[in-house]
Amino acid sequence: MELVDRYLYAVRNGLPKGQQDDIIAELGEDLRSEIEDLESGLGRPVNEVEVVEILKQRGHPAKVAGRYLPQQYLIGPALFPIYLLVVKIVTAVLVPVFALIVGPIAVATAPQPSHAVVQSLWDLAMAVVFSVGVITVVFAILERYPVDPKPFEKWDPRKLPRAPKSTPESRSTPRATAIAELAASLIFSTLYVSWFRTTFDVGGLHITLTPIWRSMYWPFLAVILVGGVKGYLSLIWPERIRLRFGFRVAINAVTVILACVLLNAGTWVNLAAPGFPAADIAEAARWTNFGFKIFLGVTAVMAIGDAIPEGMRIFRKKTSWNYSIAT
Amino acid sequence: MNAELFENLRLELRRGCLVLAVLAELRNEHYGYALRKALADRGMAIDENTLYPLLRRLESQGLLASQWREEDKRNKRFYRLSSDGEIILKQLLDEWNTINSAVSRIIEGEPIAEEQLSI
Repeated sequence: MELVDRYLYAVRNGLPKGQQDDIIAELGEDLRSEIEDLESGLGRPVNEVEVVEILKQRGHPAKVAGRYLPQQYLIGPALFPIYLLVVKIVTAVLVPVFALIVGPIAVATAPQPSHAVVQSLWDLAMAVVFSVGVITVVFAILERYPVDPKPFEKWDPRKLPRAPKSTPESRSTPRATAIAELAASLIFSTLYVSWFRTTFDVGGLHITLTPIWRSMYWPFLAVILVGGVKGYLSLIWPERIRLRFGFRVAINAVTVILACVLLNAGTWVNLAAPGFPAADIAEAARWTNFGFKIFLGVTAVMAIGDAIPEGMRIFRKKTSWNYSIAT
Repeated sequence: MNAELFENLRLELRRGCLVLAVLAELRNEHYGYALRKALADRGMAIDENTLYPLLRRLESQGLLASQWREEDKRNKRFYRLSSDGEIILKQLLDEWNTINSAVSRIIEGEPIAEEQLSI
């Protein structure tokens, strides 16, 4: 019965303290009874394989022990909607504070404004993470030591929020999309300001971006950040999809303008490679610039293609979800 | 998908019935393994990982009483229905019969009798 003892010992380790001996005594008795039953049916003692089969049928020790633990959650169903509301309010306050006060002050006083913009975004992200952490801890404490044990009993139907005019399910931005846009904006803006440069050395090749790229630095950063604003607004107002369409049309319009300005420049990179024939380098530069031309043209066309249906959706008639109650 | 859905619904349906079956079976004293066998013999098989935590929960709610006692030279924990458990079992059985009759009527498409409506 060494296997049974080992099994029971493993179960014991996962059991609530104070009940371990009692539960193990009962489980041990149950196991021995089952084995005895099997032995009397077989007319011989069970072998190791049969004991293993019985133990495996009972389940992993951690799983068995888990059945004796209380159901645990950090914030229960009664408090969770309030917790979510507080998180939303705090986040909705933090973003304008950083966007309108902290960020502008940091940008105005920093030697490198673009770095200050991205630093402010990271500070905002950290402030949100810290605030959500503190709120979570507070609600977890309230869950353990409730002030009002019956929050679901004190409510008034007249105080419920009004139903939206359009169907929330069919006309809203998925939360995952909004979060992805916010995260993408944060990551891209960080990479952009950290890695932006106008000269590159690849092997023996010296690549220099033409001055037009330097003048496009802030407009590009602005487009990336506006994408983040769109994500944020979609997160706090998922049902305001016309606002979202408006942002998307605006971003696409600016993208088209930037692509046209760049296309107008005619040349986007210069190449130099000491030791290589000048004619070969000139040919490589010609093809590289041709590639840029195609890329910018395609970007402009795609932006127009995206903006047109989005623009049309702004003016599309809303679908109503109002209903009447039969009397 | 359908098999998984059915299994979830089956477990949901069975959960409440198990409590009723265990309480009803413990009108007579049993130790854990004997209770398991008795339930299985009557068509209500229940695995030990469900039964023992359930017995503890019902005991902590005051519906069962338990006692360690020696039988056949082995220590066994015997359970029986407490006086509170008897009251609750009676109420649950009434509820069970009401639900059972209602579901039967719904399935068979019969209207409810007028005297029952007035209850």
